[in-house]
Amino acid sequence: MAAGIHAVHDRLSAIWRPLASVAVLIAAAEAAKWAGLLPVFVPAPSQVAAEIINNPRLVYGSLGPTAWKAGVGYCISAVIALSAASIAVLVRVLYAPVYNLGVMLHAMPIIATAPLLALWLGTGPQVQIAIAALASQFPMLVGTMQGLQATDARQRELMYVLSATRAQTLRYLLVPSALPYLFAGFKIAAPSAVLGAITAEWAGADRGVGAMMLYALFSYDTPKVWLAVLLTCILAGSGYGLWALIERLAIHWNRDIELGE
Amino acid sequence: MVFYGRGEPVIALEKVDMHVAAGRFAAIIGPSGCGKSTLLRLAADVIQPFAGTVALGSESPRAARHDHALGFVFQSPTLLPWRTVRQNVELPLDIVGRKSMRRSASSPLELLELVGLKGFENALPHELSGGMQQRAAIARALVLRPDVLLLDEPFGALDEITRQRMNLELLRIWAESGTTALLVTHSIAEAVFMSDQVHIMSPRPGRIISVIDVPLPRPRRLDMMRTSVFFDCVNRVRDGLFDHEPAPREAVPERIEPY
Repeated sequence: MAAGIHAVHDRLSAIWRPLASVAVLIAAAEAAKWAGLLPVFVPAPSQVAAEIINNPRLVYGSLGPTAWKAGVGYCISAVIALSAASIAVLVRVLYAPVYNLGVMLHAMPIIATAPLLALWLGTGPQVQIAIAALASQFPMLVGTMQGLQATDARQRELMYVLSATRAQTLRYLLVPSALPYLFAGFKIAAPSAVLGAITAEWAGADRGVGAMMLYALFSYDTPKVWLAVLLTCILAGSGYGLWALIERLAIHWNRDIELGE
Repeated sequence: MVFYGRGEPVIALEKVDMHVAAGRFAAIIGPSGCGKSTLLRLAADVIQPFAGTVALGSESPRAARHDHALGFVFQSPTLLPWRTVRQNVELPLDIVGRKSMRRSASSPLELLELVGLKGFENALPHELSGGMQQRAAIARALVLRPDVLLLDEPFGALDEITRQRMNLELLRIWAESGTTALLVTHSIAEAVFMSDQVHIMSPRPGRIISVIDVPLPRPRRLDMMRTSVFFDCVNRVRDGLFDHEPAPREAVPERIEPY
């Protein structure tokens, strides 16, 4: 019983401690602003909050389009990255080309390619979707490629001695051992998709967090710019958080996989 | 058996001629790199011989493998970390599954009790000690009632105390299961204590240089390690291992001239 109380207490402190530090930071920023310690382009947190209260339609009217464009781009990218990585692992000749292509696409400056893509694809949401997909592909590609190779020789030998079929080896060995890497890649890719979509919105979009950010910048509306920054953080963070939650529910045996090569 | 690596092909095994009677316990001993694991992998059809044949009873290793008549215990436990102990032991059943239930399988729970893991059925591998993990691996190898149990230095990573305990347990499990066992080891005492026959190998190229019969009665007990029969066998295995080596040039002490 005491252990149960301790667990509840631990969980509560895991929640209230970060909350308390955020509250303290916000209060400090507020006090600093009214004391005249902050420059003009940094608004008080209360001014940003006032923006939300005064114009809630702007908040969800911007969040919605950006969220779905980032989401669609992310899903397209996930499908392509998964298939490309699986093919690359199966057909060794294609491994290096696929990997190199992923690196090159990842190295492309989004801010320069977005206007070019807009010329090519038109100014509709397709540009933002395409950029979100481009921006998020690399972690998913690397995660899948590493994950599918994460089995060790002994485990494969075990499946061989048990004369498991290819499908069984995939189901009982390859997929479970790939999962931690997949989750790591998919988790990191989610904020990239959001940031990609927002950057692409700068190149021309009538709605979305990026568009809102651009309008606010041009009209020197600093509280609104900061609101856009806050919304970006919320969107990118919740994309990450969603995957972290799924990972937590799906993987109970091993966490903390690091991507890298 | 020839391996082609970098540079010159390496002849890993040459002129290996060994026979293990059904239901017996045989050991293969030799220094590192003498090809004892290669020999075991030939029997498990993991690799195929360059020349010559391996037969398990009347079957080829491939047929035996497809028949699920092989149990293999690796140097490391090689448990799947996302499966509980019980699910790991059940893995061979999942694989045979609906494909063919021809082979009568042992109950995983009984096997876990036999290897002393009762109460740990739902633990994950990383929650167990190395010895317990290896016992789970042995249970997994036995769950399909294999005709042949192949053990590749199964206790090599364990400390001496755990190792002796595991040896006794393995013998008990083996006696109950009635399978033919082939143990690869580099411990002389372990080879003699466990087996009916010790096959001694020498390296480069790997070959069997002699076979020592162990006349100790069964069931084996730890105090048998103090008998003269045991010591005699240990000495014969040791002689077999070291005799063929070019004896270090007879250490003729240089005569020191007295001044």
